[in-house]
Amino acid sequence: MRVLGLVALLAPLMLAGCSVHDMVLFFPAGPMAASELHYTYLITGIMMVIIVPTLLMSIWFPIKYHISRQHKEKYTPDWTFSYAIEVLAWGIPLGIVAVLAWLSVHGIRGIDPWNPPLLAKIAPNAPVEEVDVIATDWQWVFIYPAEKLVTIDELTIPAGARIDLKLTATQNMDGFYIPQVAPMVDAMPAMQTKDTFLVSQPGDFTGFSTDFSGAGFSWMRFAVHAVSTADFAAWVQSHQGAAPLDYAAFDAHIAQPQVNYGATPSYFTLTDPKLFGEVISAAQMGKTYPVSQALNKAVADDDAAPVAGAQ
Amino acid sequence: MQVAIEGPWSPLFGRLTLDAIPYNNPIIVPTFIVAALAGLVAVGAVLYYKKLGYIWREWLCSVDHKKIGVMYIILGLVMLFRGYADGLMIRTQQAIAIGPNSPGFLGAKHGYLPPFHFDQIYSAHGTIMLIFAATPLLTGLGNVIVPLQIGARDMAFPYLNATSLWLTFAGAALVMISLFVGEFSSATWVGLMPYSEMASNPGVGVDYWMWAIQISSIGTTFNSINIIATIVKMRAPGMTWFKLPVFSWVQLTTAIIGLTAFPILTVALTMLGIDRYLGTHFFTAGMGGNFMLYINLFWIWGHPEVYFLVLPAFGVLSEVVPAFSRKALFGYPTMVAASFSIAGIGWMVWAHHFFTMGMGPNQIGFFSAATMIVGIPTGVKAFNWLFTMYRGRISYETPMLWAMISIVLLLIGGLTGMMLSASVIDYSVHDSVFVVAHFHCMVLVIGASAFAAVIFWWPKVFGFKLNETLGKWFFWTFIAGSLLVFVPMFMAGLAGETRRLDYVFNTALAPYMLWEEVGVLVYLASIFFFVAMLVVSLWQRVPAGESPWGTERGLEWLTRTPVPFYNFAVTPHVNALDETSWRREVGAALRPTRYVPIHLPHGSGLPFILGMDVFAWGFALTWRIDWLIVLTTIAMIAIVFIRSFDRNEGFIIPAEEVEAYEANISTASIFAEQPKRGHGLVGEAH
Repeated sequence: MRVLGLVALLAPLMLAGCSVHDMVLFFPAGPMAASELHYTYLITGIMMVIIVPTLLMSIWFPIKYHISRQHKEKYTPDWTFSYAIEVLAWGIPLGIVAVLAWLSVHGIRGIDPWNPPLLAKIAPNAPVEEVDVIATDWQWVFIYPAEKLVTIDELTIPAGARIDLKLTATQNMDGFYIPQVAPMVDAMPAMQTKDTFLVSQPGDFTGFSTDFSGAGFSWMRFAVHAVSTADFAAWVQSHQGAAPLDYAAFDAHIAQPQVNYGATPSYFTLTDPKLFGEVISAAQMGKTYPVSQALNKAVADDDAAPVAGAQ
Repeated sequence: MQVAIEGPWSPLFGRLTLDAIPYNNPIIVPTFIVAALAGLVAVGAVLYYKKLGYIWREWLCSVDHKKIGVMYIILGLVMLFRGYADGLMIRTQQAIAIGPNSPGFLGAKHGYLPPFHFDQIYSAHGTIMLIFAATPLLTGLGNVIVPLQIGARDMAFPYLNATSLWLTFAGAALVMISLFVGEFSSATWVGLMPYSEMASNPGVGVDYWMWAIQISSIGTTFNSINIIATIVKMRAPGMTWFKLPVFSWVQLTTAIIGLTAFPILTVALTMLGIDRYLGTHFFTAGMGGNFMLYINLFWIWGHPEVYFLVLPAFGVLSEVVPAFSRKALFGYPTMVAASFSIAGIGWMVWAHHFFTMGMGPNQIGFFSAATMIVGIPTGVKAFNWLFTMYRGRISYETPMLWAMISIVLLLIGGLTGMMLSASVIDYSVHDSVFVVAHFHCMVLVIGASAFAAVIFWWPKVFGFKLNETLGKWFFWTFIAGSLLVFVPMFMAGLAGETRRLDYVFNTALAPYMLWEEVGVLVYLASIFFFVAMLVVSLWQRVPAGESPWGTERGLEWLTRTPVPFYNFAVTPHVNALDETSWRREVGAALRPTRYVPIHLPHGSGLPFILGMDVFAWGFALTWRIDWLIVLTTIAMIAIVFIRSFDRNEGFIIPAEEVEAYEANISTASIFAEQPKRGHGLVGEAH
């Protein structure tokens, strides 16, 4: 019981460490995430209509009908069926599921990441910023085709603009996710998916991969900076003249399996406007970036040789 | 013919080299020493007490459904412990490796496990807990209880039953040996695709995973065939379909799922195997391959598999709740309908496992609504259990405690499940630890029901009860541990923590991780009390009498306790759904007065030998030792051939011998050694 004692000692200490502000999903920073949170409240609230009474029954019945109270309570050992109760037992869940299913379909149609009607309704005239995203083993590559800019592990976007992402991956499936901002959508090799979102106010967020892709997966995070339109232009300007990047350079360096432990951003000038499409076609033609067992073992292992390209 | 493989290959040993043995790993070596010592002690004890012959004849060669069931459950409990050890290591790693300044031990940059090891551990945790702990536990329960509940002598195919067990055993042995020879898969228990292909996974880990699941799932398919045939064809006279107990009903639905779903997994894994061994491109990203095909196939099996596991748990609750409420089950016909609804709808929801993989809103809407519909029959079941308690006389024996907490856990799991089935919410928590906490709630329902069942039916099989005091300590520590692990995990999910992290970059998650670590350590206490409960009860062995709980209802309690190896001395005629309590009420005879000869099948060592051969076959395939693959394949065919010409039709126990057993029931118990019996059928048998 010493363990339980320790729990009692540590409990207040550790409770103090938890803060409601850690639970970032309750603090959306854009309409897509806000819609997700809205439906979370709505659906959970409706579920409470059935969960709370059932929970109370499951606690109250065993107490009320405990054998020690047998002289006080009714006992009907042969009462095994009631049409009224069965109609309610099927009917109430059926009704709630009907409402929830309608809400779910309605909700998902609103935030469909391919072309969310929600954004068209809220911000029909928002400027559109297109970014192409490539998940490599194990970094995030962001291509700004209009700005002819490529960044690694940093996504800087104008606040108030509608961000249209196209996603793919070089070899393995990764999940693209920015809590508070963008719905989770997978980036898949040889295929293209889409994600669309809008950040209402300037702010800094962290995005990361949610779908396991190998040894370096835990370090696949990227900084998200939502800035004003003027600041975005200035940011683009400040990275003019960065090293050029075409498919050959991407293939030879960026796409090779490597871990960016500190998620340190780097910048390139896009010299090949078809880079994103070329990555997809290459994967379709069977291009892979084999990860050797030696590399798998070396990731985050101090005893092993350093990982190629690690910073 | 073979694809290019990384590392050396020799004709004699295949890919196996001395480097495959992690003799310098500071975690595996002590584990191996402890496991080897435990093994030596066990073997030494068997030899010292000269029990080798007994174990061979009475257990390894047994085709008795009860012994097979007990061996399934022992396998499940051992693997449950292994799965827990993995869980403890996962939690400890995440409790240490938080933030860039977190310390590193044993060579790891953060925490004490580099990703290469950590990824194998959580992959093993999932594979073991679902395929090699939960499945054998529930299959074992079905094996023990179904023939007793329907008044049968044994399963329809006793020899096939033993084959199922030893195939499952072979799969589990492959997972266990991967700890000491080579490595396990790092591609999670689902086999992420294309990550499980050679490009990202050139080692033997995925091969171990693939063959272990492949072998054991063939065993599960066989077992499903057996259960269906048994329930359909072997019910005692008078047992019409609507006198079939609910536990047997859910075993039937489960077996239908097993028979129809597991072959899909077999096909998917075979295609993956062809990719990995012959270099085809079924599931690669390029060259015309389509990894989405694998993901669909896997979850077309994987989601029915979830109901394959949870339905037997619901069946247990439908037996335990009435027993300890001293009241018949409420709403029996709708319980049966609900079981079939769950099993049926379970086929139409698989795509909710990949809502985020670019599906259009209409497909997502369909699968979202279909998933929610599962909530209806599940809700019906919860209401029926609650109305079974209503106006009953409830006592809190340990099986009832487990049953009551199962209902509460089912409500929490159901609430979060409904949240996740709404894809609009799922977009924010798919692949987060919120999902992990949700499905752990559901598998805790399964675990809690399995504990309820083991404790409830234990005296039926062994003739003595488990210690109630220690059982209650086990219960409360287990529940405390579960709360401490999974409440913070739900919260961490809402804080945006994703699954499968070797290193947690978000330092704000530190308190949650510490809470979970405390919880997982509290589980250690519950394991201590569980083992203490077993040891103390085995030591004391207080005879339980013919009615251990005083509240038994079903047909299975009509046999003597402990149940003799031939089950019912005379096949009973069934008059009611709850036959035992019906006979007590109307004053009908509980025991036969006149005995008849009994026909039983002979034991056979072939299923055990086949299991060992299949284990060697899986090992040879994993390490690509060609000559051993050929040899073990030939041996497999030879064993099936030998069995086909076995004309042994079992043996007869004469009526007077049955009478002698019934007079002194301990001589027929599961522990008692039986005399060698001659071949051939003599006289008339029943």
